[in-house]
Amino acid sequence: MTDHRIILLCVIPLFAGLISMALINRKVLSRLVGVLSFSMMLGLSLSLLLKITAAPDDASILVSQMGGWSAPFGISIIFDSLSGMLISAAAMVGLGAYVHSFSVINPRTERRYFHPLMQFLMLGVNLSFLTGDLFNLFVAFEIMLMASYALLTIGGSKAQLTQAYKYILLNVLASTIFLMAAGMVYGMFGTLNIADLARIVAEIEADPNRDLPAGFKSLAVMFLLVFGLKGAFFPLWFWLPDTYYTVPISIAGLFGGLLTTVGVYTVARLFPLIFASDGTSTITAEGWMLGGTSPIIQTILIVAAAFTMFLAVLGAVSQHHVRRILSVHVISQVGYMVFGIAVMTGNALAGCAFYMIQHMVVKCALFLCCGMMEKHAGTDDLDKLGGLLKRDWKLGVLFFIAAMSLVGLPPLSGFFGKMVIIREGFAEGMWYLGIIGLVTGAITLLSMLKIWSYGYWNPDQAPVTNKPEAVMASSKPAYAAITVLVVCALFLGLGAEAVYKVANRAGAQLENPQQYITAVLGEDAYDEVNKLIAEREADTVSPDAESLTMIEPEAEDKP
Amino acid sequence: MTMILAICVGVTFAVSIYLMLGRELKGVAMGVFLLSHAANLSILAMSGSPIMTSAQQAEEQEAQKHLTSVDSPIMKDPPILADRYANSDPLAQMVDPLPQALILTAIVISFGVMAFLLTLIVVTNRKTNTLELDELAEEARQL
Repeated sequence: MTDHRIILLCVIPLFAGLISMALINRKVLSRLVGVLSFSMMLGLSLSLLLKITAAPDDASILVSQMGGWSAPFGISIIFDSLSGMLISAAAMVGLGAYVHSFSVINPRTERRYFHPLMQFLMLGVNLSFLTGDLFNLFVAFEIMLMASYALLTIGGSKAQLTQAYKYILLNVLASTIFLMAAGMVYGMFGTLNIADLARIVAEIEADPNRDLPAGFKSLAVMFLLVFGLKGAFFPLWFWLPDTYYTVPISIAGLFGGLLTTVGVYTVARLFPLIFASDGTSTITAEGWMLGGTSPIIQTILIVAAAFTMFLAVLGAVSQHHVRRILSVHVISQVGYMVFGIAVMTGNALAGCAFYMIQHMVVKCALFLCCGMMEKHAGTDDLDKLGGLLKRDWKLGVLFFIAAMSLVGLPPLSGFFGKMVIIREGFAEGMWYLGIIGLVTGAITLLSMLKIWSYGYWNPDQAPVTNKPEAVMASSKPAYAAITVLVVCALFLGLGAEAVYKVANRAGAQLENPQQYITAVLGEDAYDEVNKLIAEREADTVSPDAESLTMIEPEAEDKP
Repeated sequence: MTMILAICVGVTFAVSIYLMLGRELKGVAMGVFLLSHAANLSILAMSGSPIMTSAQQAEEQEAQKHLTSVDSPIMKDPPILADRYANSDPLAQMVDPLPQALILTAIVISFGVMAFLLTLIVVTNRKTNTLELDELAEEARQL
């Protein structure tokens, strides 16, 4: 269904960024513009998401063709359930981190174009969630990465400058590989539109005589490399702990929730649709074609998920600084999402979608709590902290709820995400991944309780750099932001059934490409595939028909 | 032609990786610069060879018999000149313009990244008075 309001999700942050650049020295006005922009994005994406959730199947994907050029020649902007969930969560997380920054950011840093950069970061993120064209995805990644490079080094402290190179150089390398891979996709298939590629792959799968072009698997692995570097899979995770350690804490909250999720989202979008296919399909008893999954891609995803989940959480347990613990936990949670993608059924992808949004909200809340801890005690070293519960019980409660959501205790949000993913893993025969997931959850609990007992539950021994009352009075925006995020996480947990209605739709759309292809390319785009399926079904049925005609040859007229 | 391009891409990638693994940040910046060049060349290779095959050449000379002057039909035309779609497959006669559009966008993006990287190097030099990667790592470890 065509709806041109979708592109507003990219236009709003663009204009807000430009207006903030004009208002660079006026603090209150630029903050107001920023908050307005995030709220408008959140409201618009939630209303569009509600609209498509209530709509029937054939109107459940919103498409907008840029410039009126029809697909596959023009660029399609597509808003389906998965994009809607992620954009809403991104706007929520962005709003929370932005409001939190009002209390903790250095005024000198704020004048260094902090407000426009946040808006341009959201522009890149929203565009990458919405786009339906591989090269436009590259451009969206670059916008997001440029804003993140600048936010990483904002303020220009020595620590930030020396650590930024790791992130920048690795992402430049990943962008180059992405560019090459996009060029190769064009050379191989003649198109860069994701729906068109899905249609071509579906036709190849349905036709038993055709095979995927040579070099397809290496192309898939190249894309996995690029998105793995972005999303911090095993073994491409080494840049994350050092990089997130040195940024201002609100930005760390935003990055921790948002940037790795973009990498996981692109894998979830592209791989079940296109790149994990092995060019075959099977016809089941109901007559439906199932696209085959390439065993090597699935093996790579399974190994990546297992090692990412387990090794990262072991790394988190060994750390003593709260920020580093939380950064390494980001990697471990990404492992769960890759687990959901590796299983590659509709329910597992629905679980992965739910896990992505609850992780974004909870992780941002945890980072922002860490920011408040640092403001109270001046340090995030667990050996020096203590007794924060007595000083600030509200922060303790908020941190405890967010931490237990991360671990996955029922009835909080993490539980429902992990339950669906692990249950699907066991159902598909990947019991080893399920066991690793459960053990990782237990070790995550250990790590969160370590922060809790050293930081909050201890008798008071932290350095008192600021009086608690002064800190609480001066940080009202930060407390508001953390409270809103924790309430959102509680809603995701206690109202998981309602959220799963949307997530199940997202999973179904990812698993069966027909809806996506017909929404973008038109009603008759899938006809060729249906024709090929019908031919294959007829081939399997015809031996019986032949034996019948041989019994009564006179009934047939020879042409 | 595609073979020469492939060799160029390989050599440029090798040189850029060698520079990026070097000792000074200036070399790393040059390596990043060459990396984007190599990727752009590889996309150019995806547009196919600009030299017509002999079968396409024969078809072109067939189509041009009604003209008084016969151009040499060995190289393909750019799309703006190829206005006689005598061939069933237009790409037999003209060069594919889409990869060139992709390359233009990629050049602009890498230009922006390069500008940022060079500014970052200048600021790092001002703050730490060194550009040797070993000394920068030492600084990072102390923090």
